[in-house]
Amino acid sequence: MEDKNWRYQTANDHGLSFMERLRQCPREPDPLVYAARFTVAVATRAAMKLYNRFDIVGREQLPRDGSFVLVANHASHLDAIALLSALPLRTLHHAYPLAACDYFGANPLRLALTTIIANVMLFDRDEGGLAAIKVCQRMLDEPHNVLVIFPEGTRSMDGSIGLFRRGIGWLLAGNSYPALPCYLEGTAKSLPKSGWVIRPARVRLVIGKARSYERVEQNDAGALSVCADLRNAVLELAAATAPHTARQITKEVYL
Amino acid sequence: MSPSAALANEVFRFFALLTTGLFVIGGATIAVLRFGFTKNVSQAWNSYRGWLLMAPAVGVSLLAGRVVTICFFTLIAIVAFIEYARATGLHRDFAMTFISLSGIVGIAVVAFAPDPASGTPGWCGFFMAAPVFVCVSLLLAAILRNHPEGQLKAIALSLFGFLYIGWMFGHLAFLANTRNAYGYLLYLIFAVELNDVAAFTCGKLFGRRPLCANISPSKTREGALGAVVISALFPLAVRFALPDFSALECVLAGLIVGIGGALGDLSISVIKRDIGVKDMSTLIRGHGGVLDRIDSLLYTAPLFFHFTRFTHGF
Repeated sequence: MEDKNWRYQTANDHGLSFMERLRQCPREPDPLVYAARFTVAVATRAAMKLYNRFDIVGREQLPRDGSFVLVANHASHLDAIALLSALPLRTLHHAYPLAACDYFGANPLRLALTTIIANVMLFDRDEGGLAAIKVCQRMLDEPHNVLVIFPEGTRSMDGSIGLFRRGIGWLLAGNSYPALPCYLEGTAKSLPKSGWVIRPARVRLVIGKARSYERVEQNDAGALSVCADLRNAVLELAAATAPHTARQITKEVYL
Repeated sequence: MSPSAALANEVFRFFALLTTGLFVIGGATIAVLRFGFTKNVSQAWNSYRGWLLMAPAVGVSLLAGRVVTICFFTLIAIVAFIEYARATGLHRDFAMTFISLSGIVGIAVVAFAPDPASGTPGWCGFFMAAPVFVCVSLLLAAILRNHPEGQLKAIALSLFGFLYIGWMFGHLAFLANTRNAYGYLLYLIFAVELNDVAAFTCGKLFGRRPLCANISPSKTREGALGAVVISALFPLAVRFALPDFSALECVLAGLIVGIGGALGDLSISVIKRDIGVKDMSTLIRGHGGVLDRIDSLLYTAPLFFHFTRFTHGF
């Protein structure tokens, strides 16, 4: 016989207003938000495919189950949308792009759009990052969460891949969480940092092999080595992608 | 129902004027207490401000016509169901929540649809049979999962939520299909709110013995009794809103509101006490959640619906 005093698990954010709830992470499921996100996700997937001729290489690298981290270069707001579109729809509400609170939480409209559509997880850039890393580790310990991280910390202006901040290193060093390096190409042409209009540039995503850093020591040097390894992995993907780009192929045809 | 019909309808005009008048009087009283006697009126002001949003919302949707009215009540039911789901923990079970919400949307569609037999608006037979389909769907979802643990809890919570918050409240939306829609809807909503206010006032004035001390400590027997008397007499004062009703039927309609209103209030209180929350949410400032506001309507709407249907038909 069950316990006589039944325990209801009331939502953890009970008593907060809708906007305050969106600021929380992890958020409680909300049927209306889920419905809106699902609708937008289906629409953006179709739009990316048709408008940006979105092309995903290495989708088979995505782990079938368990939590993992996607690590990618960052040049555009489209990056998060593109990476989320690469994931299967059933993980839609469990995939969290990490985003800076000071920018994305700046006004209610931006907060609502990014949290409802992209399921963004807000963190404080200035707070040393340790609290955010703890939250990330808790989420990765759960069975099916996906974190989308852009370790450069900001959008690149010239297409180069900047140095990775060490937060990602601290998150992965000494832990068995799988991390998948990803290379995104064309998002900056489609929606550059300074732009407002999405242009129909071709977008390509290359997903690399999963790697984990259980043996790396949990200290600053270890974190930096993780950063270096991941950045190299992304650069390798970038180098390997180059021969497949449109310009190279046309050259072959016309020579 | 249409904007022109609403403006031509004397019941609608009467209640619009009455509500406006009450707002003016209430606002003036609060202003006098605040600025004349420098009393602390923040609680009254919060409650008043909530009404300033809610009453026009109801008025405008009734004015806009049948479709908007049904959509409006359906939206309220959806928001209230989500509050209930979040309070009970049902919201973590997406499929069950989704099925119940689909059921709520489904009964709204049925309320729009014409009856295939008679062609009158609102498919009453299907509306009354709606719980069967929701129950079957919930069980089907549980079967397809092939994972029995905790399913009874999820099915029970979602079915009760649908029945009470979706379907029973849906009767209010269905009243928009009746010949005397303005009269029935405005009478019912106004009487239920009047009953709340009367219970509160009588309780403050004469309240001594608690009604249900463990459920809602502030409610008193005197308050409930006073509210029943006032509610039973109210339809006689607004008889033009219920033109077909005899004096006895008016009193019975009033008793439904008087007794049902108090019980509806206590029903939601039982649920809240059991869960251990004070308010269902913080959506309406000064009133708690939507579910806290419509608690009495949930209970009285189907009772009033069937009373009018059996005595006069639609």
